[in-house]
Amino acid sequence: MPTELLLDRPARLRDLRARVRVGALPTALTLLLVAWLLTFIAVPVVLVLARSVAAKDGGITLAHFAAFFGKAYFLRSLTNTLILGTSVTALVMGLGFALAYLVTRGPRVLRWPLRALTVAPLVAPPYLFGLALIILGGRRGFIAQLLNTQIPLYGWPGVIVSQVLSFLPLAFLMIENVLESLDPNLEDSACDLGAGEMDLLRTIIVPLAAPGVLKAALLTFGLAIADFGNPALLGGDLSFLAPDAFLMITGEWNTEMASVISVVLLVPSLAIFLAQHYWLKGKTYTTVSGSPAASEERRIGPWLLIALVVPCLAYVAAVVASYGVIILGAFTKLVGIDNTPTLEHLVRDVGLDAIWTSVKVSLVAGVVAALLGTGLAYLCTRTEIRLRGFLEFITLIGFALPGTVMGIGYLLAFNRPPLLLTGTVGILALNMIARFLAVGVEAGVSKLHQIDVSLEEASADLGAGVLTTLRRIVLPLMSSAFAAGFLFTFMQSMISLSAAIFLVAPGRLLASVYIFNRAREGDMGIACAMSVILIASVAVCLWGLSLLARRTGLRIFAART
Amino acid sequence: MPEPALLSLDGLTKRYGAVIAVEGVCAAIQRGELVSFVGPSGCGKTTLLRLIGGFLRPDTGRIVLEGEDITATPPNRRPTAMVFQNYALFPHLTVAENISYALTIRRRPKAEVARRVEELLTLVQLQDLGPRFPAQLSGGQQQRVALARSLSLQPKVLLLDEPLSNLDADLRVQMRAEIKRLQRELHQTVVFVTHDQEEAMSISDRIMVMDRGRILQWGTPSEIYERPATPFIARSVGAVNFLEGVLTNGTPGRATVSTPLGILAIRSAVGGVRSGERVCLVVRPEAIRLGPPDNGTGPNRVRGRIESSMYTGALIRYSVGVGAARLTVDLYDPRHTAIFREGDQVMLILPEDPHLLPA
Repeated sequence: MPTELLLDRPARLRDLRARVRVGALPTALTLLLVAWLLTFIAVPVVLVLARSVAAKDGGITLAHFAAFFGKAYFLRSLTNTLILGTSVTALVMGLGFALAYLVTRGPRVLRWPLRALTVAPLVAPPYLFGLALIILGGRRGFIAQLLNTQIPLYGWPGVIVSQVLSFLPLAFLMIENVLESLDPNLEDSACDLGAGEMDLLRTIIVPLAAPGVLKAALLTFGLAIADFGNPALLGGDLSFLAPDAFLMITGEWNTEMASVISVVLLVPSLAIFLAQHYWLKGKTYTTVSGSPAASEERRIGPWLLIALVVPCLAYVAAVVASYGVIILGAFTKLVGIDNTPTLEHLVRDVGLDAIWTSVKVSLVAGVVAALLGTGLAYLCTRTEIRLRGFLEFITLIGFALPGTVMGIGYLLAFNRPPLLLTGTVGILALNMIARFLAVGVEAGVSKLHQIDVSLEEASADLGAGVLTTLRRIVLPLMSSAFAAGFLFTFMQSMISLSAAIFLVAPGRLLASVYIFNRAREGDMGIACAMSVILIASVAVCLWGLSLLARRTGLRIFAART
Repeated sequence: MPEPALLSLDGLTKRYGAVIAVEGVCAAIQRGELVSFVGPSGCGKTTLLRLIGGFLRPDTGRIVLEGEDITATPPNRRPTAMVFQNYALFPHLTVAENISYALTIRRRPKAEVARRVEELLTLVQLQDLGPRFPAQLSGGQQQRVALARSLSLQPKVLLLDEPLSNLDADLRVQMRAEIKRLQRELHQTVVFVTHDQEEAMSISDRIMVMDRGRILQWGTPSEIYERPATPFIARSVGAVNFLEGVLTNGTPGRATVSTPLGILAIRSAVGGVRSGERVCLVVRPEAIRLGPPDNGTGPNRVRGRIESSMYTGALIRYSVGVGAARLTVDLYDPRHTAIFREGDQVMLILPEDPHLLPA
């Protein structure tokens, strides 16, 4: 008789738990992960902080901060950045709520098309709309040609509109999720008690959605102030912090001032991050319970409907026009001026090389980030390792900080031995992984919270070893989290600009940087053509993945947990 | 002349695509009545309730309240109020704010609102809980808040959608009594949806038994229990014996049925069943009397043997073999009645007034 059966049952359970939980991943691997996180997330950030207070003689000084706050130019940049963040956030929240309300509660015929068009900008580089706006409304743009007038695009109107277009989809998805998760019985109940449509919005829907909307607002604000591409393209005479930091590096190699600007950018981002994770945590009302009973679609009254539909249509029209003008620009000699069809922009070797580099870097970053992310998630939920909160915190920091900060931090950390990485393709991939790792971790943690430990214990109970349990039980269940981590990292790496622009070397360009440079120099045809190819390659990769998912039965796209 | 109905349902039909959820339902509900819609899940009872509440529009048919056609009136302008299965309390409002919601929406004066909230809290015995939030209450307390909130506008009809299904057994019985008390106190017309037959029996003035969108039977609890319209209903409201046989009509008010147990005399024949037709006798276990095998002579006596017994305190339930048949017989108050053991021979006295169904 095996000795195991002689032990009492609680002891055996304890034993199983110990085997599954602690023995699963050796300590060495854990240490490796910790070292990795420290090197590629913590060290660059710490170096930025240190550089911002570093005196020439090696001591600590606040002179750089004094210089920043003493200069009217920088103060203006700071105010401009805050005004931009606030106004874009307000507009995005208004529009995002209107769109989400229509998509979740509006006329059924509108819902699907409206949603598809609303999220369409997600696959585009964040400055694509800046580019499109220049072609539409720039000095030699469509509007100037057709109407023979100049519209004041450069400055506030351009930056605000392009940022709203860029950041709305993410905010929309968050608000939609909130509105969808409200228990329909609550609205029925309020209606039953005599609430009209506006009462319902004012007393039930808005208050219940508020915490979730606030989360979306904080995220949008963080993205808006950290954005580099749109202000750089359309800012005109206005200065903003993220482009200033870039100029400090590229123009003067003034790493101290660049670090100070980074710290100034970092403070609100960090505050937002802390607010989201500690203050807003658990504040959302999860109200759905049980099966929702059928109710007749509530009709939105004509005035409210108009008030909602008009701005939403304006947004959708802008998205369609932007995509349209980019496609047009890709296939004409000089869009708006010489509309002769041509394919010449599509065959730029430098551009195609850059896209190929982007695809390679993004694939590597995606796979590694997903692996590390789910691995970390497993460590954080299933083992009794210490530093658990610390590990999660570090990955989230990497995610929350502006790309500009992470870009400058990488410049400072890896431009000399022992880790001389500047100018390599590797530094780009490492940077992307560090910044987007958190998505895989979060997806993995939430998935693992859904998978009961008893499943693993049952597997072990039936005689499977630790590795078999991992392979047969945990990994299949984790595949959706893995996919979420991969997809997010891949897509963001393909299109993100703000950190990459510090780290690319001549001859090792990334597509997003290449397109941005061409756009800034006015080569609209090439910029458009490469954007089209970039978006198409993102789309093709997504399509390929969905095909793979269908073949293998993996639930990749059910990953929105 | 009878009082006209408070609420009439006039040929209501509701389809979802090819599925018919409610089909041709006609019913009249009187003022102050507590009626239940009962049936298995998917029978259409909740759909019917939501039609009355205005959350659904019928495909055909009318809903008339106090002579007024309200079929097209949206829920916010209908004088009905609903208690939802999950209570649907507003999580961001306090108990008092939940209860005063309808009054606040209507911009009633503050003093009146405060007075009414106090009244309602007292009515449901939650005087001190006004400032709490729903998440801080127990299930039973949430239930009371939901009730108070729905009563705040003195609705013409109170609609309860399986209101007790989320409570545990003890509390369910307690809340049942509570709802009954409120209904009597306020003379409130109530429509109560439940899948629990016993709950419906104990609380209702009248019960509508539904299956597949149609009304199977619509009557008082005792009608449902004693004269069920179908074997399905008979079975669903308690243990029952079915005896099939052929009817022979004798003199008016007298008939016999030949069953596998022998020929049974019954006092009255049901209308519509003629001599020579097959019928089904519905005999409740407590309607059969049990005695020692030499228990005199008379009609409807058959000998049997106790096969098994089950003691539940208030009664003993015997399974008695009579020839090839088995009957369930309940003996109440077993302290004062002869107790039989398994294997004992007994005499069964079957009732002379059983309910007859066409076989």
